[in-house]
Amino acid sequence: MTHTQDKSSALGQGVLIFIYLTVLTALEYFIAVTFQAVTILIVVAVIKAALVMYYYMHIYKLNETSDDDDVHSYAYKTGTNRLGLWLFLLSDTFVFAGLMATRINLLGFTRPPLNQMLGLAVTAVLLLSSFFMNRGETSMAHGDTKGFLNNVVVTFVLGLGFLIGVVFVEWRLAAHEGLVASFGDTVHGPMGGVFYIMTGMHAFHVLTGLIFLFVVWNNARKNIYSAEKHWGVEAAAVYWHFVDLVWIFFYPALYLIGKLIA
Amino acid sequence: MKKFFSTALVRGLFWQLIGTLVGAGLVTGIRMMMGLSATDKFFFTEPAWVLGGFFGVLFFLAGNGSVTDWFKWARGVDTPEHHEEKFSGWEKYLNVSLDHKVIGVQYTVTALLLICLGGLFALIFRTELAQSQLQFLKVDMQLFGQNGPELYNTLMSLHGMVMIVSILLGIAGIINYVVPLLLGAQDMAFPRLNAFSYWIAVPAAVLLVMSLIFGGFGTGWTGYPPLSSRAPVGVQMFFLGVFTAGWSSILGALNVIVTVVRMRSKGMVAMRMPIFVWASVATSIIALTATQLIGLSFQLVMFQRLFGMGFFDPAKGGNPVLFQHLFWFYSHPAVYVFVLPGLGVISELLPVFARKPLFGYRWVAMSSLGIALVGFLVWAHHMFTSGMNEYLRVPFMYSTLLVAVPTGVKFFSWVATIWKGKLTYPTPMLFVLGGLVSFLLGGLTGPPNATVSVDLHLHDTYFIVGHFHDTIFGGFLFPFFGALYYWFPKATGRRMNEFWGKVHFWLMTPSFFILTLGMMQVGLLGMRRRIVDYDPALGFDSTHLVLTIVGYLIGLSVLIFVINFFHSIKNGEKAEGNVWNSRSPEWQVPSPMPTHNYDQPFEVVGEPYDYGLEGSQYVKFAEPAKSNTKHK
Repeated sequence: MTHTQDKSSALGQGVLIFIYLTVLTALEYFIAVTFQAVTILIVVAVIKAALVMYYYMHIYKLNETSDDDDVHSYAYKTGTNRLGLWLFLLSDTFVFAGLMATRINLLGFTRPPLNQMLGLAVTAVLLLSSFFMNRGETSMAHGDTKGFLNNVVVTFVLGLGFLIGVVFVEWRLAAHEGLVASFGDTVHGPMGGVFYIMTGMHAFHVLTGLIFLFVVWNNARKNIYSAEKHWGVEAAAVYWHFVDLVWIFFYPALYLIGKLIA
Repeated sequence: MKKFFSTALVRGLFWQLIGTLVGAGLVTGIRMMMGLSATDKFFFTEPAWVLGGFFGVLFFLAGNGSVTDWFKWARGVDTPEHHEEKFSGWEKYLNVSLDHKVIGVQYTVTALLLICLGGLFALIFRTELAQSQLQFLKVDMQLFGQNGPELYNTLMSLHGMVMIVSILLGIAGIINYVVPLLLGAQDMAFPRLNAFSYWIAVPAAVLLVMSLIFGGFGTGWTGYPPLSSRAPVGVQMFFLGVFTAGWSSILGALNVIVTVVRMRSKGMVAMRMPIFVWASVATSIIALTATQLIGLSFQLVMFQRLFGMGFFDPAKGGNPVLFQHLFWFYSHPAVYVFVLPGLGVISELLPVFARKPLFGYRWVAMSSLGIALVGFLVWAHHMFTSGMNEYLRVPFMYSTLLVAVPTGVKFFSWVATIWKGKLTYPTPMLFVLGGLVSFLLGGLTGPPNATVSVDLHLHDTYFIVGHFHDTIFGGFLFPFFGALYYWFPKATGRRMNEFWGKVHFWLMTPSFFILTLGMMQVGLLGMRRRIVDYDPALGFDSTHLVLTIVGYLIGLSVLIFVINFFHSIKNGEKAEGNVWNSRSPEWQVPSPMPTHNYDQPFEVVGEPYDYGLEGSQYVKFAEPAKSNTKHK
């Protein structure tokens, strides 16, 4: 695989995108707490998603034609695998889109009583993990296995932090507030069900992403990846960013949009 | 016999049993520690059976070896792209193979078995319907925790879903076998994923049948809540089975799209791809994306039952109509998943037997995609009576009527292809023509249902049942049989018996038309769907008797087919060359197809369907094809 950028400028680009995403997330939060402008929130989320898809997930690589026409070559196969992975993500998107439609239909302009600070914290943690994943992949694309290993460990720890933050802290706090899975009435709608299925489905994807990260980390320790041959690393990275991508939409849908009803 | 018990199939089933018990035991153990009840009507409790069913699938896949290579990759161990085929003969088909041709046959045979099973269910409840009043499914009988009418409901629901799964496997079988050959590829893009997609369908089928034993479910294949949220445990097995079969469909579709995009031989630009390939892509686009929504809708009901989440429970602010939206978002496009490959087969075979170019190739190619895309926008026409917002009715009516346009393009092409052709009528051609006529009937009865004012009266009557049996027989079953007769020599090097093939056709076709037209007739007279009994005063007892008789005749014809199929594998007339005189690349090499498909790569140099045009050529092999000399 050819890379057009040298390593430091690629890493620099990652930092820049991370700053954009952070600013946009802060803006999102600010808009939500000051005035409820759903349209702006949607626009911000779409911009964030576009940034992640282009700069972190490198969606444009789908268009790359490999120099090697032999279907058995690593380069050609990587192109094939990439298309397969993206189609899988497209398919997966329909699950999350279905959940989003469920949330809009059932809860409308209300939202569950959740801890705003915790929501912002886990969002920041997941965003930061995406940033380190990008660093890791960039390192590997330039043949720096050690850099990859270090970054992927940070990504893993942050991802685990997100998972614990949602499943063991947020879920417990929510249940304490009375938002148990079976909670729902004609005023609030089936709020418990919607909250747990959305965060649960996402958390399940985070968990599989963590397993994936562990697998590539373990393989990288055995030195099986190189600058030219590291499809496994790329796949893990794209999948990890996808999990982040979903949260870009789920975070405002659960925490920011709509009113709280007592 | 010992060989049989060591096959991947039997090992998988054994591990599925173990997995089910482990999963169920795990939940039961936790429940006992929490001081909850450990047993219920069907021995274990519902949560226990759900986790058991889920573990069963995982254990099946781990136990039968279809994921072994992936685990090796995860440990950083490389594996060869293809393994040496360890087995030969029938053993090859009961073990995990990465060869798309073997997997295609596995899919097809499994589909045939499920068609027979689903047909058997239909015959049982069709027998009950032969007369008004309850004949043998009486209220005082008990089987699997159900009385007669409840058993009727379960069989009727399972007939629907078993047939749907058999269709998904059937199209996957044909696509798997044929598409790489048409493209000139050595295999599918992801051979392991391909094997996985097949093998995950086997535990899915087992789960579906398990639902019959665990109290059944009387919801119909649609599983609408609140009925499904109150049905016995069986409905959970049904949900799990559909969910698992859905993954088979999704991953198979993914594989097909990638294969078509990445593995075409030289010169095969988009507008020179065979129509069947176009149809496969169109069908795969729907299966890849929309299938997630039926999985999600069933999952939500599952969770509602397990954890009391209130998605579809109005008392908790839930919305039952939401389920119908999520469900039909897949389940309407799903019918295009079922029929598009069949319609592709019709377009593929007609020119061969009419010896004429396919009329309007570009339009036919695009019409498949057109149907697939418009198909995403029509789902709520199933819900005109559901109480959804009324302003949704008219837009969905028009979008539904729009489907008739690309479908009409196909019919126009078929008729124009037949026009002044030099038609011959071997068995595959008969089934193609039968499919064409029956899909026409199904197609013409569609727009009345799509029209809101008419549908309000036709909804949930036997008219609908007649309509969709016409479309599914025309769009799937007839072309499926046609494709099997047509490509059977490619797979086995022998032909199926022509006489019994014709008997099959001439027995099935008239019976089938009587069946569906009769269904529509009783439907118009007031016969409701999904009901065990009807009022004798409605005056269609005799029609129902006829329907039951023709139902048995169709069953008999399929039985003839199955016997012919398995008998011909060993005893059919030898057919190793280009038996149908086709231009398609797979017929330019000897049959049965060599293990790695084409020895020489080919290049596409002309249009695929220019039959009868002198000097025209579709494919050119790298060296002159050594037809009929290389086989051993």
